[in-house]
Amino acid sequence: MGLGSVRYLVGEGAKNIQANRQMSVASIGVLVACMLLIGAAVLFSLNADAIMGYIESQNDVVVFVADRATDAQAEGLKTALEAIDNVASTRYISKEEALRGQMEKLGNSAYLMDTLMEDNPLPATYYVKVKDLERLTETVKEIQRLDLVLDVNSPTDVAATLVGIKKGVSLGGLGIVAILGAVSVLIVSNTIKLTVFSRRREISIMKYVGATDSFIRLPFLVEGVIIGLLSALLAFGLLWIAYYYLLDWMGNATSSWIQLAYPNLIQFEDIAWRMLGGFCGAGAAFGVAGSMFFVGKYLKV
Amino acid sequence: MITFKDVSKTYENGTHALYHVSLHIEKGEFVFVVGPSGAGKSTFIKMLLREETPTKGTVFVDGRNLNTMKRRQIPAFRRTIGVVFQDFRLIPTMTVYENVAFALQVTNVSSKYIRRRVPYILDLLGLAKKARCYPPEISGGEQQRVALARALVNNPSLIIADEPTGNIDPELSYEIVDLLNEINRCGTTIVMVTHAHELVSQFDHRVIAIERGRVKLDRGGTQ
Repeated sequence: MGLGSVRYLVGEGAKNIQANRQMSVASIGVLVACMLLIGAAVLFSLNADAIMGYIESQNDVVVFVADRATDAQAEGLKTALEAIDNVASTRYISKEEALRGQMEKLGNSAYLMDTLMEDNPLPATYYVKVKDLERLTETVKEIQRLDLVLDVNSPTDVAATLVGIKKGVSLGGLGIVAILGAVSVLIVSNTIKLTVFSRRREISIMKYVGATDSFIRLPFLVEGVIIGLLSALLAFGLLWIAYYYLLDWMGNATSSWIQLAYPNLIQFEDIAWRMLGGFCGAGAAFGVAGSMFFVGKYLKV
Repeated sequence: MITFKDVSKTYENGTHALYHVSLHIEKGEFVFVVGPSGAGKSTFIKMLLREETPTKGTVFVDGRNLNTMKRRQIPAFRRTIGVVFQDFRLIPTMTVYENVAFALQVTNVSSKYIRRRVPYILDLLGLAKKARCYPPEISGGEQQRVALARALVNNPSLIIADEPTGNIDPELSYEIVDLLNEINRCGTTIVMVTHAHELVSQFDHRVIAIERGRVKLDRGGTQ
């Protein structure tokens, strides 16, 4: 196939979109709808994950250091704690800091604590954040085994519940995306099938004048890819606008729940390129698959 | 040009379309193929176009054995044959010019040649003024002439016409066959399948009658 032919066939593909306007519009509509649904589901599930991650991070394991430890030893415990695989970060509160914190809380009655200045009963404390809540129990046990640790306070029950909810949200999101994806594949392939079917006569005519299979396929391929990419751009733009307005609305909402969640919501820009890539990839793939698979059916003349 | 050697065709559903058909058509002949519907005429045409292969026997067209022809060789083979159908088979979304040019486009010739050749053929068939029309905008007779132009544009050595006058007025039918006659005079072999007996009798050409899958009659023209 010469360069002139390729140019002709690409031109034919572009022209066919215009010539088969109704079918093109129908295909683009179906593709855009599917991509919007899937995109919305992905956004929902990512945001749910992010919010769950935030809630998770609010749970500290509190480690009390034994009084017999010197200040240097207490501070040295930090290395041992951070050596534990599942520990993300630690925050040290010395005995003095703990006492001062208590006094601040008492405000005007702080003098009550004065007598304690000599013999501070409050232990030095580490606030430990873990990486993975699911392994909390195991991590707590490891911390307890450390020397100089007096006691460990951990939100084990809360952690178990949170882990459960998080798993549910992730799995649910994945499930929704998967179901929508499967439905989209069905609808889109049906649309492609219809498009090709409505032009089977055209294909058979081409065969009779001696067109090779690839000569017939290329315009369909170009057409499919253009329609796929066009739909991807359209869906991407619509989703961006819709998400922008949603965030805008949430930012101004008065509900305390929304205020709490808002800073943790995903910005569209964070996933824009991946989403655009995914849409374009899926759109182009449908175009290619449609022209390879469904046109092939009518080539056996 | 065309040789059928003891050709039989049975379709997968058990229909026997042709029985032991043997015939030979010389280069430059004009042959009418007649017979009632279901006699096997369509199968005969499909064999010539290598749309079907015989169950038994061999088909030769222009020196090529169609039985052994590979799938990828079919397009090149079809470019040497012009086909005209009863229902014209024009692409409705292409103009008259584009429909004719399309047959050349598939052959990989230069676009310069296409721009010269297509207007020439359209002019030859009196379609110059309709070049920019779309098929649904012109009459049946004109559409069939466009189909004929498309068949001719590759300069084929054989033209197969499958009931080319089936969908057009009788007076225009004569015109179409007359055009085929003119083309035949320039040396192109013509095989025309038809129902129209009055047309056959107006032209003095060989007639092959097929009935129930067999050659019932093979009568040469008087020339």
